[in-house]
Amino acid sequence: MSGFTWPWEYSFPPFFTVQPNSTTRAKQMDSWTSLICAYCQFHKITILNLGDAEASDLFNNKTLKRKLSSDAVLEVAQYMTDNGKAQWLDGQNSILVLWRSLEEWAKLLHDFAIEAGLTNSVCTLFELVQGDDTTKEEFYGLDIRVLKVFLKCLEEQGRAELIGDDEGVKFFV
Amino acid sequence: MSTPREFKTRNKEKRTLGPFAQSTSECQWRSLQRTKMRRRVGVAAVQKSRQAEEMFRQKKDELAALELHQLDQQLDSFKQKLEEFASKHKKDIQKDPDFRRKFQEMCANIGVDPLASSKGFWANLLGVGDFYYELSVQIIEVCLATQHINGGLMSLTELLNRIRRGKNRSDISSSDLISAIKKIGVLGSGFQLVPTGPEWYVQSVARELSVDQSEVIQAAEKNQGMVSVSLLFDEYKWPRPRCEKVLKELVADNLIWVDLAPEEATYWFPGIFQAKREIIDE
Repeated sequence: MSGFTWPWEYSFPPFFTVQPNSTTRAKQMDSWTSLICAYCQFHKITILNLGDAEASDLFNNKTLKRKLSSDAVLEVAQYMTDNGKAQWLDGQNSILVLWRSLEEWAKLLHDFAIEAGLTNSVCTLFELVQGDDTTKEEFYGLDIRVLKVFLKCLEEQGRAELIGDDEGVKFFV
Repeated sequence: MSTPREFKTRNKEKRTLGPFAQSTSECQWRSLQRTKMRRRVGVAAVQKSRQAEEMFRQKKDELAALELHQLDQQLDSFKQKLEEFASKHKKDIQKDPDFRRKFQEMCANIGVDPLASSKGFWANLLGVGDFYYELSVQIIEVCLATQHINGGLMSLTELLNRIRRGKNRSDISSSDLISAIKKIGVLGSGFQLVPTGPEWYVQSVARELSVDQSEVIQAAEKNQGMVSVSLLFDEYKWPRPRCEKVLKELVADNLIWVDLAPEEATYWFPGIFQAKREIIDE
């Protein structure tokens, strides 16, 4: 992949071994968290499939001949969800990487709805992420599953309501 | 002191030396006996010797006082000259790192420490003290800020780069850093310099490194920050348990990271690894 600047840790061989010392491990997990977030943000990825983690150069540095084992990937994922940097999706097969926090995403959607005058009317989720009016929005192209997570967050804040079989949404001011 | 009997036997031996030898030693013995007797006699002798002692002491004190006075004078003129020198070269000392180092060396040679206090006449005169105090504070800041990455072990070169970048000053030399770090040492064992051949490392965590641990750092320095049991064996011929023990300690101190490579577990110092990488990058 071109363009993404890997952090120094990516070429540091022990980065791919889960560290036995708990203090060191915490640093390592922090570094993995920021690497994953930066990588996903750069490539506009929100869902990371943990099943084929080894195929991704994120977890597999072929030049260095080091890769993060699947157990280690799970440990990193657990660390990220514990720290609000990710959410489990589909059981534990993939994670939603929150390089932007849940609240920020929710606000982004809500702000758009107000600006576009969509409040109090129903719009479909599809039209939010694939519609012609949202191509320039940050959330354009988001996976529907991810969008639902963000909208549920808004729903909890009482600023939106999912309608039907979670296919439409109604925004409130 | 010889008894008469001993004397006689000795005399016999000395007979071979001839008549003169015999008579001289006999004389000596006699005079010895006499002094012995004389010493035992009278208070006057005792008093006389005391008097002499007293006079000697007086003279000694006199001389000492004179010497002290001279020394005082010398010291005064020395201080004056040094002050003259310092104020004359004040600018050079503050601006030129090389000059500053030489000045420091000169002061160290004559046993003067211009950094000993920020309130001394040096500080008033030069502001040297403040210069190093500020530098010390910056060193501590940089070291603490990077501790999460390097585990509290940072090469002097990287520290210098960071400080130069942060302060936007290129007139700071590594010998300035060394002086400043040595000053921080006064506060306890928190900051230490670990020499590893060509490069110095600054250890900013409060712990004493054992001799073995320092040797491991030296080996890693030669090897991009990496060591392993076999590498330590090759380098120092340490038996396996000794290598394992010291590596275990370093892992526990979170100074090194483990890489469970397929061939053999290797151990890496992040601080050294980064320092080496930066050199390659540059």
